[in-house]
Amino acid sequence: MSSLEELSHRHDDQAKRADTVPRGAAILELRGLQKKYGLVEALKPATVTFLAGEIHAIVGENGAGKSTLIKLLTGVITRTAGEVFWCGKPVQLATPTEAISRGINAVHQEVVLCAHLSVAANMFLGDEMNRYGMMRKGAMEKAAQAVLDDLGFQLPAAALLGSLTIGQQQLVATAKAAMRGIRFLIFDEPTAYLTRQESAQLFRLIRRLRDQGVTIVYISHRMEEVFELADRVSVLRDGTHVGTRLIGETNETELIALMINRTIEQIYHKEKVAIGKPIVETKSLSGPGFEDVSLTVRSGEIVGLYGLIGAGRSEFALGLYGRQPVKSGEIYWEGQKVEIPHERKAMDLGIALAPESRRDQGLCLNLPIGLNINLPVFKRLSSGLVIRKGDEAENAERQIRDLRIKTPSRRVLASAMSGGNQQKIVIGKWLSHGAKLFIFDEPTVGVDVGTKAEIYRLFGELLKRGAGIILISSYLPEVYELSDRLHVFRGGRLVASHDHRAGTHEDVLTQAIGI
Amino acid sequence: MSVDTTTESAPAPKRGRNILLGLTLFGLLAALWLALGLSTNAFWTPGNISNLLRQGAMTAILAVGQTFVIITAGIDLSVGAIVGFTSVIVAWLLQAGVPLWASIILTLLMGVAIGAFHGFGIVRMGLPPFIITLATLTSLRGIGLLITNGSTISINHEGFTNFSRTDFLGVPSLFWMVILVAIPAFVFLHLSRFGRYLFAVGSNSEAARLSGVNVNRTIYLAYILSATCAAFVGLLLASRIGIGNATQAEGWELQAIASSVIGGTSLFGAVGSVHGPLLGAFILATINNGANLLNVNSFWQRIITGLLIIVIVYFDQLRRRGSR
Repeated sequence: MSSLEELSHRHDDQAKRADTVPRGAAILELRGLQKKYGLVEALKPATVTFLAGEIHAIVGENGAGKSTLIKLLTGVITRTAGEVFWCGKPVQLATPTEAISRGINAVHQEVVLCAHLSVAANMFLGDEMNRYGMMRKGAMEKAAQAVLDDLGFQLPAAALLGSLTIGQQQLVATAKAAMRGIRFLIFDEPTAYLTRQESAQLFRLIRRLRDQGVTIVYISHRMEEVFELADRVSVLRDGTHVGTRLIGETNETELIALMINRTIEQIYHKEKVAIGKPIVETKSLSGPGFEDVSLTVRSGEIVGLYGLIGAGRSEFALGLYGRQPVKSGEIYWEGQKVEIPHERKAMDLGIALAPESRRDQGLCLNLPIGLNINLPVFKRLSSGLVIRKGDEAENAERQIRDLRIKTPSRRVLASAMSGGNQQKIVIGKWLSHGAKLFIFDEPTVGVDVGTKAEIYRLFGELLKRGAGIILISSYLPEVYELSDRLHVFRGGRLVASHDHRAGTHEDVLTQAIGI
Repeated sequence: MSVDTTTESAPAPKRGRNILLGLTLFGLLAALWLALGLSTNAFWTPGNISNLLRQGAMTAILAVGQTFVIITAGIDLSVGAIVGFTSVIVAWLLQAGVPLWASIILTLLMGVAIGAFHGFGIVRMGLPPFIITLATLTSLRGIGLLITNGSTISINHEGFTNFSRTDFLGVPSLFWMVILVAIPAFVFLHLSRFGRYLFAVGSNSEAARLSGVNVNRTIYLAYILSATCAAFVGLLLASRIGIGNATQAEGWELQAIASSVIGGTSLFGAVGSVHGPLLGAFILATINNGANLLNVNSFWQRIITGLLIIVIVYFDQLRRRGSR
């Protein structure tokens, strides 16, 4: 018996053992499940059945009701109407404790663990091994290490959690949930911040849990993952459950049609814009995390940077933007050699950066949308020391209108917005600044297909105005379809370049991984 | 394009929250004044009201400076010590025969220098604001005691010491000083871009930096303003008590922080106003004043102040949670 199973059996003597169902039978049934917030119907009456030991993907745009569904299943919110059956018996699922005691658990996109504790301490948090009231640190470390090795994660159990990458932390969170003898595990966009290798490890773990009879609910925006992993897939649109398919009986086109009524060609809509003079040119640019990068961005052109997370793409962008010091190499701006020692110099030249992490770098979340949008341009909106209130309001309102940011007012806090709308706020910041070179770092992570299409359309608008775009993405179809020129990064270096749609997905991927 | 993702249930705009909080605090202050007026005859006398305004004035100015710092998600523990220290400096300068105007300017510049030192410690040395200002808190008291050799320096400048007792248009000069500070402070925080930058830095300094905000300069600015407000209060205190004494203003930093927090400033940063801490300071002053008039044991005053902080901030939290 593997160490994971041993540990998870620590919990099996609990009551939940009593209500088991055979593999393939319905473990959780939702009948007419509904959730209303005031007058807003976040989830229209939905009837879905989850089978024991299946991987059940749920897809849908942001705001389609996926988060509402997860919250209902994990007892974070209570339903307005409908019935839930667990192993054939009606249940309340009114509190998180009840959900957990039945073996329902969720792994969230954002890791909620303690960065200052060790990996082992995190895995056993709230469930420590004790002897005579003293913690058995050594034993826990050993057991945790056994589980990690068993899962093939190659992570040290004694290391501080904070010293790991976000992806590795996610794996720890999953291992922790797996140890708790779960029956029903929900993954909410787990691979959003994972590298390809880490995703592969996670998938192995998910399949293994499934084989042990655990029911997996897998929520993702990434179609290729759904097809790689899931047994069945349910589609939500506008709070409505529009269908459930066996994975073998559907395809990407059908799913997308169910989700948004639009085809892939319409999503990756690429404007044909005449490519003009170079805007920026780097020559052997080196800095922290990237080395010897030479590339050119012309007006009307999208230059894609593809690579694994940590391949140096974001570092290059931050170097070009003046956030990180550049060690050597040259930058030419419209033919002139320039130095970019700090962000304001970059902004003055006309560079805009929509950074990788909306939460950490992009937005002041507990401040109003309007303030966020205007932050780079307050100088222009001021006469002397004082801000012109009218212009301030007008500029914010215009971006909200043009970008279709769904908010009742510019005074709403940015934290109240969904991922897609938050991304639009980040972009809106730079539209009013009037930049010539736009750097978009992972602009569509955690963004639904509809908003993605809007963002791509916006790229076209910018190109038509004569701007150039650097598009950094870990999502291959996106950079592949949109880039006029695609550069592949690996280990901090630019290792290959392709023209628009030259080379296959496999070529690009191989170059990025380096095998 | 008709991508109708369901409109997320964003909360209604909270434009009025700040104003509402201001009104609630104003209501509390009015209620306190009314209640004290009914329960003691001594409260609504010109002498007492002037006294109350003088008492509250100094905390109010400290609280405004403190608020700038707290909005950047920092804290300035040194303001009480700066008040004591600068009262020594101005007394010392006047004793040495430096003209009054020069003494005032030099004392204020001392405040600027202390604030800049805080900024340096935070920005260049990477020290947490709590630590660097705690360090200056104890050091400044020490330097002040060294200068005075542990005693006090009395101030013989009549005009300077009379100032705190004068009135202008029937209102104590000290209270006019609050207005003198509050108006530019309001313009700075609520109407200028630097005010916006304080909020942005307090909310997410990396996002602010990437948006072209000079984060380091903003932090310097906040601590310099706080320390300069404190130096200004040092001048007012020296004028009021007629001496320079490094041990004066013990614990005023906590009064200032309490006023600011009662006034709706969030210790997590990015939430705050100018009118909030002003009202907070006068609420605290009224409680002390009222307790004196009602002959409440001064030990009780401290307890009441503590309880009040808990109650007010708790209600503010409740309202915030409700509005999210």
